[in-house]
Amino acid sequence: MEYLTVKNFQYMIETMTDIIIENEVPFCELDAVAGDGDFGMSLAKGFKMLKQEWKNVSRQDIGAMLKDCSLIILENCGGASGPIWGSAFAGAARATKNKQQVNLCEFAAMFNSSAEAIMKRGGAKKGDKTLLDALIPAVESLEKSASEECELFNAMQVAAQAAVTGAESTKTMIASRGRASYVGERSLTHPDAGAYAVGVIFTEVVSKMKKEGINQ
Amino acid sequence: MKKIINELDNMVVEMGMGMAKAYPDILKFSNKYKIISRNQMRNDKVILISGGGSGHEPAHGGFVGSGMLDMAVCGDVFASPSSVQIYNAIKNANSSKGVLLIIKNYSGDIMNFETAAEMAQDDDIVVDKVFVNDDIAVEDSLFTVGRRGVAGTLFVHKIAGAAAESGLELAKVKEIAQKAISNVSSIGIALTSCTVPAKGTPTFQIGEDEMEYGVGIHGEPGIAREKMSSAKNLAGKMCDRLLEEMKLEKGDEVVVMINGLGATPLAELFVLNNDVSNFLMNKEIIIYKTMVGNYMTAIDMAGVSITLLKLDDELKKYFDAPADTAAWKV
Repeated sequence: MEYLTVKNFQYMIETMTDIIIENEVPFCELDAVAGDGDFGMSLAKGFKMLKQEWKNVSRQDIGAMLKDCSLIILENCGGASGPIWGSAFAGAARATKNKQQVNLCEFAAMFNSSAEAIMKRGGAKKGDKTLLDALIPAVESLEKSASEECELFNAMQVAAQAAVTGAESTKTMIASRGRASYVGERSLTHPDAGAYAVGVIFTEVVSKMKKEGINQ
Repeated sequence: MKKIINELDNMVVEMGMGMAKAYPDILKFSNKYKIISRNQMRNDKVILISGGGSGHEPAHGGFVGSGMLDMAVCGDVFASPSSVQIYNAIKNANSSKGVLLIIKNYSGDIMNFETAAEMAQDDDIVVDKVFVNDDIAVEDSLFTVGRRGVAGTLFVHKIAGAAAESGLELAKVKEIAQKAISNVSSIGIALTSCTVPAKGTPTFQIGEDEMEYGVGIHGEPGIAREKMSSAKNLAGKMCDRLLEEMKLEKGDEVVVMINGLGATPLAELFVLNNDVSNFLMNKEIIIYKTMVGNYMTAIDMAGVSITLLKLDDELKKYFDAPADTAAWKV
């Protein structure tokens, strides 16, 4: 596979939406350990609205599609998730403006733009025990694969693994953002809910694409 | 989980409508953006907008009215309202004197209120903001979001509210709000967790003889789990911490707030107040006024927070100024 097209992005976002909705309760439970237990619900609320509004989201180009998603997410995801996940989609939209397809290099740049948008909005960086600790390793993995001229779908699978590993590594971090940051060392040994969610989403999207032959 | 609700998804809207129906002379509620506003809005004063997650009632809708807030924006339970909701509240403020956002210091609230302020500033609306961070359980730190905004927020609403009502300019109202923030500190304990309706179960388990020390108002664990203690011991430990933090001395004058977190009986709050009052009197700290009740709750958490507001003449003047809201009348 050399490119991801508008249709591929449509598929990936639909899949991501379903994964988030299916995982509402498990994501809440993760958040309850050191947070207030609402992460899954906050995220699902926005993506349920995205699902409802999906037919109205632009199919004109990848950037326009992602921009429409970002506004729905910003408005409808509860709490901190709205600005963070909304910024992620807005950052991705900026990097894919007017594009009908992206190659591996451009795909990596898109996720990099997402990560930067999140950092700008939320003030976190790598190691603060947030979703960035799954996203940044995925970005770095995609960039490395791009520099080695790997095949696109392979690169996606490797990046998903990097995200999961990144999420695991948050178990050893003490939270310094979000509600978990108030419990200090008691946040150790539990992964960050946002990072864990990123790992799950990437893994399941890639797995579904493979199962349905979309990677051909 | 047993809650007195209808459809979960409609809970916040029904709560807002119920509040407006209970206090029709003071409040109105907008379903679309879940904003509780004064029934009669003024356009010749700084407009004060606050809010945050639901689940803290009477905060913040109960503090909308003359002498306090102009609008409170309601998020889902324990979740910040969206920037779109807050932006629409700001747009509703038709005042020549601008808008001041009173924001509790949490990641979600900070991001959503700041995004909304940016959107409004793009429309050339004059908006400024203050951040309330009165909880002293967590160490303040440059590496984290910092301390939480809890029950002390109400003193900021009252003081800034009185300043704005008297017609002061935005910069002056902000300065007075900031002064209130610098002179208020809180600390809380919990005997139980709480149940967020959407989650359906308590956020943490706790033993029969245990308490969480240094809790916030969102059902998260505190900074430490300890054995349950008598009211007198609690009063001593919590007040010691407050006095140390605020550098209170003999002869200083304070307002005391004993704030129930939702499920603690008033009788217990009064017992604690007895011990807190005795403690402060022993230290020769003058108690100007006391407030005992549920002001900034955490749904159905059993627990209490103690807040002290250190007074000077200016803060006292604004504290005593008239107010007509659902939950605070002077």
